[in-house]
Amino acid sequence: MEDKVFKALSESGIHYSSDLQRQQSDIRKIWTKTQLSMQDVEMMGNDSEASSISLRRNFREDAAGGYASLSGGEGSFQQLDEVDELDGTNQEVRRGRSLDSLLGHADKDSKIEAERTSSMSSLTILNRTPHKAYWAEQQNRLPLPLIELMESEVLEILTKALSSYRSGIGWNHFMTKQLQRNIEELRKRRNARVRISGK
Amino acid sequence: MNVKEGSFLWHLYLDKVYCLLSVRNAKALLDYFHLLDVHHNNTLNDVLFFHFLHHVTNLTRSQIMKTFDMLDWNASGEVNFDQFYMLICILLAHQNHLKEQFLYRHSRPIFELLDLDGDLKLGPQDFQLFSFLFDIKKQKLKQLYEEFDFTGDHHINYKEFKLFTIFSVDKYQERQKAEKEKATEKVKEKEKEKAKAKAKWLHLQRMSFQIRSH
Repeated sequence: MEDKVFKALSESGIHYSSDLQRQQSDIRKIWTKTQLSMQDVEMMGNDSEASSISLRRNFREDAAGGYASLSGGEGSFQQLDEVDELDGTNQEVRRGRSLDSLLGHADKDSKIEAERTSSMSSLTILNRTPHKAYWAEQQNRLPLPLIELMESEVLEILTKALSSYRSGIGWNHFMTKQLQRNIEELRKRRNARVRISGK
Repeated sequence: MNVKEGSFLWHLYLDKVYCLLSVRNAKALLDYFHLLDVHHNNTLNDVLFFHFLHHVTNLTRSQIMKTFDMLDWNASGEVNFDQFYMLICILLAHQNHLKEQFLYRHSRPIFELLDLDGDLKLGPQDFQLFSFLFDIKKQKLKQLYEEFDFTGDHHINYKEFKLFTIFSVDKYQERQKAEKEKATEKVKEKEKEKAKAKAKWLHLQRMSFQIRSH
């Protein structure tokens, strides 16, 4: 009976890891499409300020739509969603600026009406593809503040458990050593993240 | 029984209708469980379970061990994710003030959890043993046995328990309605008073204007 339980658990573990791999490969495909569309935009040449403004507007609308689908309900997850939203708007500003420099500024009067429709359609395509990839990644990952909270809490719990293990089964027991290794790995991960966020 | 403020559990919440976690919350909980599962068995032993509950709630040692014995329904000495999920839902139902709805929605699994000896009946001692988790007070317990023990054997079977949960939920919804009505009445009264005060002020303004014009 125990063998069956362990088999089921290992199968579920395998399914969990294979699902993750599938999702990661899908996200990579979406990101490669984004790179191709960026090249298309460079080929298009110069564009007007109006189209870059419309790009920013579309980006904002997409962000709002994305959050409506992501945020499940009430509660303090909304705070974490707001953190993601701030990141989204910062990205929007950066992207707008980079596109401005890429596409350049043209004579407003002559070029706005003529090239507006064609450039807008290509820019909306560009606009949507990175969005999809970004949101697809966000769907599979927990927000960083939540991961940090989880890891710091688990670290405290496991540290207390370690002292119980040592007093109960001794320092040299394989389970005590396994727990100790886990605690060290968690600490390393946390310190690495703190160093990166500090930069 | 309280969940520690600012802890990971404190950020989770139950759906108000079905009293279950959303997919996102469940995913977060699964990741949390995997972090605690240091021996990679997809289970938590009694030591890890004790330190987890001790860290995130204000339960005493004996209460934690009673909870562990209740959840370890296959007597394996470990708690897997299904059982862990059940526990978290019970804690959050308590935290989110959804106890009556939770009892109603999940009456079968709760009955089976409380029925430790497996005789398909619950005596008063079964409820008292887990009163810290399900918050069934003495008065309610008395009412339960007086009004719902139809068979008269001083034990509650599943049907009687289900009727009790339906009755509790109805009463809870009536209380909610009454509280809402009180709140709306208060708001209306405040608005009326504001309107009266405004009318008075306007009247005084008019009077002073008339006096000045004369």
